[in-house]
Amino acid sequence: MRILKGNPVSRGIALGNVFVYKAFTADVHESYFEEGHAQEQLQKFRDAARMAESELDRVIEKFSSVSEEKAKIFAAHKEILNDEEVVEGIEGMILDDHAMPDYAVDMVFTEFAILLSKAKDPLIAARAADLRDVRNRVLRILKGEKEMNLAHLTEQVVVVAHDLLPSDTATLDREKVLGIITEVGGATSHTAIIARSYSIPAVLGVPEATEILASVGHVVLDALAGKVLIEPDQQTILEYQVKLAEYQKEECETREYLTKIPLTASGEKVSIGLNIGSTEPDEGFKYSDFVGLFRTEFLYMESEHMPTEEEQVAAYRKVLANAMGNPVTLRTLDIGGDKSLRYLALPKEENPFLGNRALRLCLSLPDLFRTQLRAALRASAFGELWLMFPMVGTIDDVRNARARVESVKAELRTEGIAFDENIKVGIMIEIPSIAVIADLAAKEVDFASVGTNDLTQYLHAVDRMNAAIVDYYQSMSPSMFRMLGMIFSEFNKAGKPISVCGELAGDPLAAIPLVGLGLRKLSMNASNIARVKWMLSKFTLTEMKEIAERVQLMATQADVNQLLKEEAAKRA
Amino acid sequence: MYAKQTVLKNVSGLHARPASDFVALAKTFESKVTVQRLDEEDAVVTNAKSIIKVLAQGLSVNTPIEIAADGPDEQEAVDQLVALVDSKFGEE
Repeated sequence: MRILKGNPVSRGIALGNVFVYKAFTADVHESYFEEGHAQEQLQKFRDAARMAESELDRVIEKFSSVSEEKAKIFAAHKEILNDEEVVEGIEGMILDDHAMPDYAVDMVFTEFAILLSKAKDPLIAARAADLRDVRNRVLRILKGEKEMNLAHLTEQVVVVAHDLLPSDTATLDREKVLGIITEVGGATSHTAIIARSYSIPAVLGVPEATEILASVGHVVLDALAGKVLIEPDQQTILEYQVKLAEYQKEECETREYLTKIPLTASGEKVSIGLNIGSTEPDEGFKYSDFVGLFRTEFLYMESEHMPTEEEQVAAYRKVLANAMGNPVTLRTLDIGGDKSLRYLALPKEENPFLGNRALRLCLSLPDLFRTQLRAALRASAFGELWLMFPMVGTIDDVRNARARVESVKAELRTEGIAFDENIKVGIMIEIPSIAVIADLAAKEVDFASVGTNDLTQYLHAVDRMNAAIVDYYQSMSPSMFRMLGMIFSEFNKAGKPISVCGELAGDPLAAIPLVGLGLRKLSMNASNIARVKWMLSKFTLTEMKEIAERVQLMATQADVNQLLKEEAAKRA
Repeated sequence: MYAKQTVLKNVSGLHARPASDFVALAKTFESKVTVQRLDEEDAVVTNAKSIIKVLAQGLSVNTPIEIAADGPDEQEAVDQLVALVDSKFGEE
């Protein structure tokens, strides 16, 4: 049994026969016709364009009553087909250069697709796919071939393709497509977005999938792990049938929990926070109690210049408005030698993760830090904003950062600018040196949040970007749980809020021992909220405490995983 | 030749539906119609009747633009297109 790997962009499992979908591929060469045939060739193009238009009209008609969204896609295709400059460009090449119609069509559409793909706005750049789609339609008609699509499948199949164009996904029969495998595409590609919105499991970026799967019958598509199992044996099929049933049951059960108040089985409330990294609206705001991590890097990474104070104030106010009164934990800039900004040259470092990054970098660039602190403090007049510093290693770091805050506060007071005088100032706990003195840190800050990704990396001395040592990156190790337990209990003792905003908080299995260890605030991406709320509702607090005790006494991460899986399975 | 300047005030700018509406209206005139952004030096003078060229300009909210027309119905074309932009395309 051969296994292919790819990028799981839409969760789920599918078992079924393969259908290799080869959309029309244009094979166009530079070619010209002989003098004296211009009118005839021009007519050929015009006929093809007219036929393309009537095909589009039929699809628009078909969708107009079912899905306005889909009808819109094809209405946009019609606009492109009739674009004045496109038509003039093609007809010009035919009449003036004597280019064959297919060559002219290919050249002009490709040129315009490149133009669009360079647009700064990703939504506009993505429309280059629509242009290629229309080009293929016209070229296919010029070749005299019939339309092929995913609308008329006769049986349920796993679709394998090089890539899917908007017209392919718009017409695909959702009842018949069990899963999608493509050779190209990432988590934000057109195919990924559509697959998620249709809840079709999808693994993208599987190299040479159409070739390898061309003569294959049955596959298992595991879009939880990002695997395609070719011609699986009977036992594998049985295993996956069980997994699929479990997955469907879990999906069905967890979805209801999204809107519920997060309670344990014994009735204790756990606060669910949301992690965000932009000013975009997020469905998660509605289903969470606070924003546990607002990453501000996007402001710096997406800008051509150092973001100004005014730009930052506007962004922070927008997030406060999105949060609808819930507290927002703003993490100050967290970049370093591994990322670069176009307008700020940072020296290349041998060990960027141990280098001048995050708070260290901000302390060494006083103007940059001051601008962000001023903007954050000014925004604090418009909602409940908490200020959090990343990469704190010592109490000196805490004091230095707080001194900068105080000096900015004094400036604003002198200038008569409003801000929240009682703004909460806290730290990320992600370096072991501060974790082991959590009792001392708790005295110096108003709150803290544990970044488990970096804490794992620094505690286990494992570079999390290095694929060769992934097995050494153990975020659920007994050492991690012991350290977390210590941090939680010191902060709880001091009466200071403590949360976890790393990936561990969004993992339903990890949530059980975390709450057992004393954590009451878990912050995660919107996509994990339902599953974590669901898992928490299955355990009483006493059970979670017991499990937390046990994981700290286990020898290996594998033992911890096994215990958690067993306990979860008992209650499923 | 007749031209007027205005600023895009609708939130989505000349994207998606507003862009389609703008181009559709421009196409109803016989004159040659163009649009150009004024906040960048050497910005391209774009054919306002080409949806692709208009989209490629990435004209977003608060971008100052000049709409110009040349032909028998140039004044009407510019006035109506400016009015459409100033109406915020019915957004809000």
